Amino acid sequence: MIEFQDVKLAYGNNVVLNGLNFRASFHEKVAILGGSGMGKTTILKLLLGLAVPDSGRVMIDGRDISEMTSEELRKARMKFSIVFQEGALFDSLNVKENIAFALREYTDYSEEEIDRRVRELAGRLGIEHALLLMPEELSGGMQRRVAIARSLAAGDPRMMLYDEPTTGLDPLTAANICNLINELSEGEPPQRMGLIAVTHKVTDAVKIAERFVYLRDNIVFDGNIRDLINTSNAELKDFIAELFIKESYHFGR
Amino acid sequence: MDLKAKVAGLQDFYLISLYSITRAFRRPYYTKEMIEQMDYAGAGSFVIVLLVSLFIGMALSLQLSAELSALGLKMYTGRVVGLSIIKEIGPVAIALSFTGRVGAGIASELGSMQLGHQIDILRVHGVDPIKKLVVPRVISALVMLPVLTLIGDAISLFGGYYIAVFVSHQSGAFYWSQIREIMDFETMTTGTVKPFIFGYLISCISCYTGLSTRGGAIGLRRSTTTAVVSSIIIIIVTDFVLTRVLLYAFGMSV
Repeated sequence: MIEFQDVKLAYGNNVVLNGLNFRASFHEKVAILGGSGMGKTTILKLLLGLAVPDSGRVMIDGRDISEMTSEELRKARMKFSIVFQEGALFDSLNVKENIAFALREYTDYSEEEIDRRVRELAGRLGIEHALLLMPEELSGGMQRRVAIARSLAAGDPRMMLYDEPTTGLDPLTAANICNLINELSEGEPPQRMGLIAVTHKVTDAVKIAERFVYLRDNIVFDGNIRDLINTSNAELKDFIAELFIKESYHFGR
Repeated sequence: MDLKAKVAGLQDFYLISLYSITRAFRRPYYTKEMIEQMDYAGAGSFVIVLLVSLFIGMALSLQLSAELSALGLKMYTGRVVGLSIIKEIGPVAIALSFTGRVGAGIASELGSMQLGHQIDILRVHGVDPIKKLVVPRVISALVMLPVLTLIGDAISLFGGYYIAVFVSHQSGAFYWSQIREIMDFETMTTGTVKPFIFGYLISCISCYTGLSTRGGAIGLRRSTTTAVVSSIIIIIVTDFVLTRVLLYAFGMSV
């Protein structure tokens, strides 16, 4: 279980989160929607202890992460895997080295074992032909796939965190990434691996999530797809409508 | 930026400077990264050091030959060139060149990693960014800037020799005898202590400004500029302070 209790955060005079309260189980599939600068990515950073709230508490399995030792925090982070926008791949390492990064840092595996595991993951994600390429040689979709492979190599996460997983991708590639995200989180709760995806692309969010949260300083909507479509919140209606129109243009409709 | 943020920033800088040394002795050791950084900072800076040092040595020798010959002291060109280069101009000029090339490189590389969430990825994977990124850069600067300064000093002296002998028609043997004469413990200590301290300051400032980058391309420009400008000012101020301290330490009156 993850929980945000009255979390407030501001960057200078810019208030990003103003008393956020939010709970989710590890097996849930949640999409956090909102415009740019609304603190969507900040929520993921707070969850991993990469950002510290001005006040309030971020809890993982009932423990406040600000009270954890560095070793406890490391173990808590192992419950998650994060894929940042555009992949955040290490520029100086090729695809194979990027995927093997966590294995080399964490484990005492032999080079043969690392190679076997990397090839297995690469095969699962359809990037085995790109293992020797550098990140700059990859398309946007391939970069996301490599980032997902790297995050999975780090361990056996209970929840995936996606930061704008389809932003900047063409509709076909975005659909492929959505399919991949669904494959990784397939199954029934509570066994399946959950996800939190922060995105402003509603059409992609509805493909991968079951619960939708709309953020503006604080949560102004929290519900399932039926609630989302029937929302009476005027701002959220505009947000959804505008994005659907944009998506329709993409497909030439 | 308010006062609280400035104080917090200063605290972060001090902590990075401190941890860059204390964490260098803890496992894991990133030897491969350290060698890569030494190659980038040392071997990669050789040509710029060669050019800067050669022309500084020649210009200084040319200027001093003209001025000293007016006083009838032309034969002491080697002595004055040697003292100026080894004690002052060499360490400062090479440190400024190092700032422009390596300091700016560190700040922009780490800044780009910060903006691209690569630093966050390191932390998520339990890797200490200070150990993996800062320690190798600080150690490489601590090793390579003194080495580059020694090489630069030697090149400057040869440049000075060329002008003194082939343009100013002085005795080459006397030029080198003057250089040998000034190479005592005090001169050599002054010339080698400074690059260590400059290297440490440049690398710490550049790493800190890189890691504290915020705000996209504009932020990257700002942090790179801050790294270079701050380093230049700090080098020149520190040079003055060090000169005063070392003169005092060696019991030399002014």
